[in-house]
Amino acid sequence: MTAHQDDTGGLDRRRLLARAALGGATVVGATALGGIDADAAFAAPQSPLDPAITKSSFVEGRITGISGSVLEIAGSYGDRSRIRMTNATSVWKVRPTTAEVIEIGDGLYARGVEMPDGTVAADAVWVNIVNLHTTIRGIEKKRLHLAHGHHELTGNVIADTTSASYAGRAPTADLSRLRIGQSAQVLGAWRPSDDSVDVVRVSVGH
Amino acid sequence: MACGSTSLWAGETSWFCCGNAWGPCNGAGGGACGNCQSSANHGAWPNASQACWDITRPDLCGENIPRRGCGSVMNVKHQCSGATVCITITDCGPRTKEWCGETACCNGTCRTNRVLDLTPAAYSALGDLSSGKLPVYIYE
Repeated sequence: MTAHQDDTGGLDRRRLLARAALGGATVVGATALGGIDADAAFAAPQSPLDPAITKSSFVEGRITGISGSVLEIAGSYGDRSRIRMTNATSVWKVRPTTAEVIEIGDGLYARGVEMPDGTVAADAVWVNIVNLHTTIRGIEKKRLHLAHGHHELTGNVIADTTSASYAGRAPTADLSRLRIGQSAQVLGAWRPSDDSVDVVRVSVGH
Repeated sequence: MACGSTSLWAGETSWFCCGNAWGPCNGAGGGACGNCQSSANHGAWPNASQACWDITRPDLCGENIPRRGCGSVMNVKHQCSGATVCITITDCGPRTKEWCGETACCNGTCRTNRVLDLTPAAYSALGDLSSGKLPVYIYE
């Protein structure tokens, strides 16, 4: 199953998710989890999945443990959550990927529905994703030096991944028109190991 | 105050983090209104106050966005999917003037100029966080 493949055969994705989480479909191990385009997930009708499930849930925090297909999450306000991964969960970490790349210590945003057992069956999880308003302070071939608020931040240029968007135009691999002093929106993935960010797209205006 | 259905504006929305958070977002603070949280359905509006307007200057992109202060509520609807989220304004932003002419499109129809920022919770109710920007209608 590829990241952009919709293999639901027309079946409502959220209903499939509920069936997967509730046992109507096999809940698979992390290595077999595929990523389905998250846009497709949210284009689907947002009707309740089950009379017992009245609304969608959002979870944010750091991953403190992984038990089979369940991620243990410590929220930034001291709350605790458990995310249940299913074979209908889309995963993003730098790019659409599979759950095997998820690690303890990663940051996470997840969208799903709360199950009767208290877990949140995830439609989509975004691992370490950030979207930061920065100023470019330095430019090297393999990294950008950025200012984010009052903090300095290293942006790693990733071959075959990092792109730039100039004045709203389509993203390009050409980073040569970036300039020191420009305001830049950086969409990327935080690296907990060194507190840098892998840059997926850097957007600059006029 | 409840979210309404009277058309207010249309344009492009991005997303941002605020409040207690992990990674580079740690220390982002509670925003201009002091209570912004990434995990809540919150948003940033370019004309949350005069001081805010002076920073964002949407008028330089031809967007004379009306004043809506802290605590204002808005319904934000994805232009194509129809997915909707009710948000509360808790911050000032985006800096519209820096992105004049930027577009977000779906199904061949585009919205121009960045007129709204959503928290991850709100944005993910409409679409994929990795898209970075979406075309939306805004109601109150």
